[in-house]
Amino acid sequence: MSAADIVATSVRKVYHKDRIEIPVLDGLSLKIDAGEFVVLMGPSGSGKSTLLHLIGGLDSPTSGSIRVGEYNLERMTERELTAWRSRHVGFIFQMYHLVPVLTAAQNVELPLLLFKMSSAERRERVATALKVVGLADRTDHRPNQLSGGQEQRVAIARAIVTDPDVILADEPTGDLDAKTSEEILALLNLLNSEFNKTILMVTHDPRAASHGQRVVHLEKGVLEREERNPARPAMAAS
Amino acid sequence: MHLRLIYLYRNLTRNKQRTLLTCAAVALPMVIYVLSTAVVSGVDAFLDNSARQLRLAVTHKASIINMLPEGYALKIKSLDPTGERLRAACGMRWIGGKMQNVTQPLSTVAVDAEEFIKAFDDFKLTETEKAAWLRDHQAIIVGRGTAAIFGWKVGDRISIRSSVPPYTSLEFHIVSTAEHAQDANTNWCHRSYYEEDLKKNIPEATQGMVSFFFVKCGSKADLDFFRVEIDKLFARTIDETKTQDEKAFMNEFITQQFDLPRNLTILSIVTVFVAVMAATNTMSMNFRDRFNEYATLKALGFGGGYVFTLIQTESLGLCLLGGIFGALMPYVAFMHTPLGRVPVPVIQHLEIRPIVCLHAIAIAAVIGLIAAVWPSVLALRLKVVAALRNLE
Ligand SMILES: Nc1ncnc2c1ncn2[C@@H]1O[C@H](COP(=O)(O)OP(=O)(O)OP(=O)(O)O)[C@@H](O)[C@H]1O
Ligand SMILES: [Mg+2]
Repeated sequence: MSAADIVATSVRKVYHKDRIEIPVLDGLSLKIDAGEFVVLMGPSGSGKSTLLHLIGGLDSPTSGSIRVGEYNLERMTERELTAWRSRHVGFIFQMYHLVPVLTAAQNVELPLLLFKMSSAERRERVATALKVVGLADRTDHRPNQLSGGQEQRVAIARAIVTDPDVILADEPTGDLDAKTSEEILALLNLLNSEFNKTILMVTHDPRAASHGQRVVHLEKGVLEREERNPARPAMAAS
Repeated sequence: MHLRLIYLYRNLTRNKQRTLLTCAAVALPMVIYVLSTAVVSGVDAFLDNSARQLRLAVTHKASIINMLPEGYALKIKSLDPTGERLRAACGMRWIGGKMQNVTQPLSTVAVDAEEFIKAFDDFKLTETEKAAWLRDHQAIIVGRGTAAIFGWKVGDRISIRSSVPPYTSLEFHIVSTAEHAQDANTNWCHRSYYEEDLKKNIPEATQGMVSFFFVKCGSKADLDFFRVEIDKLFARTIDETKTQDEKAFMNEFITQQFDLPRNLTILSIVTVFVAVMAATNTMSMNFRDRFNEYATLKALGFGGGYVFTLIQTESLGLCLLGGIFGALMPYVAFMHTPLGRVPVPVIQHLEIRPIVCLHAIAIAAVIGLIAAVWPSVLALRLKVVAALRNLE
């Protein structure tokens, strides 16, 4: 599947707490090119996860519009968003969120239950995804038999097995040591450069940020500044 | 195997102790349901058979413990001199009985021998049996269930100690094992033999008293007619009577000892209710444990309906497991092991019909669906964003 661009325009997200309005995103606009790797940084509580959830269609903005590829999310119903998500978005979370009673391969296969395909194709897709993340030899392990880094690799395999055009990662290395973090980030880089996935990654770690082509800083509900990464030019490095 | 099934199976075996306890909580009411249905339909069959026999039971109006003079039999019969509409009036006295070295009490009734044959033609005694019964005043017709327990057969001589005065040991000769009698556990002997024994041992005792009369009628209309006429006949005497058909009498007799059908129904309902609570509790705990998993599934693109079905299916599977076990246990125990031959009072032996087992399994399925309603609705409504926020 070809990569999709992401265009958020004047996005407002307001939460209500005890009848007090809490504006989290306050007219934010952001453009991410197809195949770009963008890192989202900002202080805790600045609305990074909120933005990621809006782009992933898990929640709807109070106002403003979000377009991912050819889909205008604000015009879609919750049911349509759910179906769209299963085909076009891969989520990666800080806490992996694997199903503990299923093996690595079964966890990766899970999203494919939403697709009509032969079991041979299913197996093939799972095997490929696990090979990409370097876990071809751990397919039958349960999550509790894997290290944190390996669990996150399984979660990444699960996110890419449906061949989505966008990968949204919320602090994917937040729970990992420096060395493992590097491996996971290298893997995301690979997905971006080799498989042409558009990636938006939230992180607090400046070293992790250096893997993106562009870093945007979120503060007080708007993008405060952004910087291009000279080490990684905008076009995917080969 | 398909991943959906693997997932379902792994969910069921995730917390084995919880699954086992819940299965047991569902199985137990099903055992009770299956057994009590068998008992109740056994009692019903017994009563229906009694209803078909066109017999009236005449007891003392005050209570069944008060006795009636044996002379009442002739007075009752005088209501129909032709003997067409009122065919027999058989006086009976319950003498119970105990075997030496056996704790289990027997049920023996002393009856008027000739009238008995006429009143209880449903016993279908052969001519040989009838002749032997009438010829020998020590003759006894034993219940086939009781005979099976003690290994009795026709021609055996047995001795039974009566449970009423004078409590002496009586010698009997078995003339029949009453293959067609509805009640397989009661023995029938001559009242004259018992009276003789009573006179011999306690000369001052009042003789010629009976516990009740069984009156055989010619038709249903006759039955209704004499039910009223007999009580009229003895109205305003010292010993007034209470006449009812055999079904009502038996029903009163059964429910007097233990109101079985009613109590069993209450017990079934209560246990099913407990099973619903236990299963609901389990499914709620499962939901709380897997909260993040359901949120993740939704984030991956699974709709609310999928998660709803996932929980419903698991609950259904859990309760069906318990239900099938609970329904099959009594079925196998009573239909395929020696346990099935153990005689039960009144109903002889429990017959467990497969359809009742299916009903039990269906009830278990309904328990499963009810138990999953709340958690699956919660899962359906679960907002991914809120769930993720609670977790990270
Ligand atoms: N449902 C909600 N109701 C009220 N306030 C909310 C709700 N969801 C989020 N918020 C608030 O919105 C703000 C932004 O939250 P968000 O999780 O997007 O921040 P974040 O940048 O991801 O922070 P962190 O770095 O800690 O993950 C926070 O102040 C949070 O308390
Ligand atoms: Mg966050």
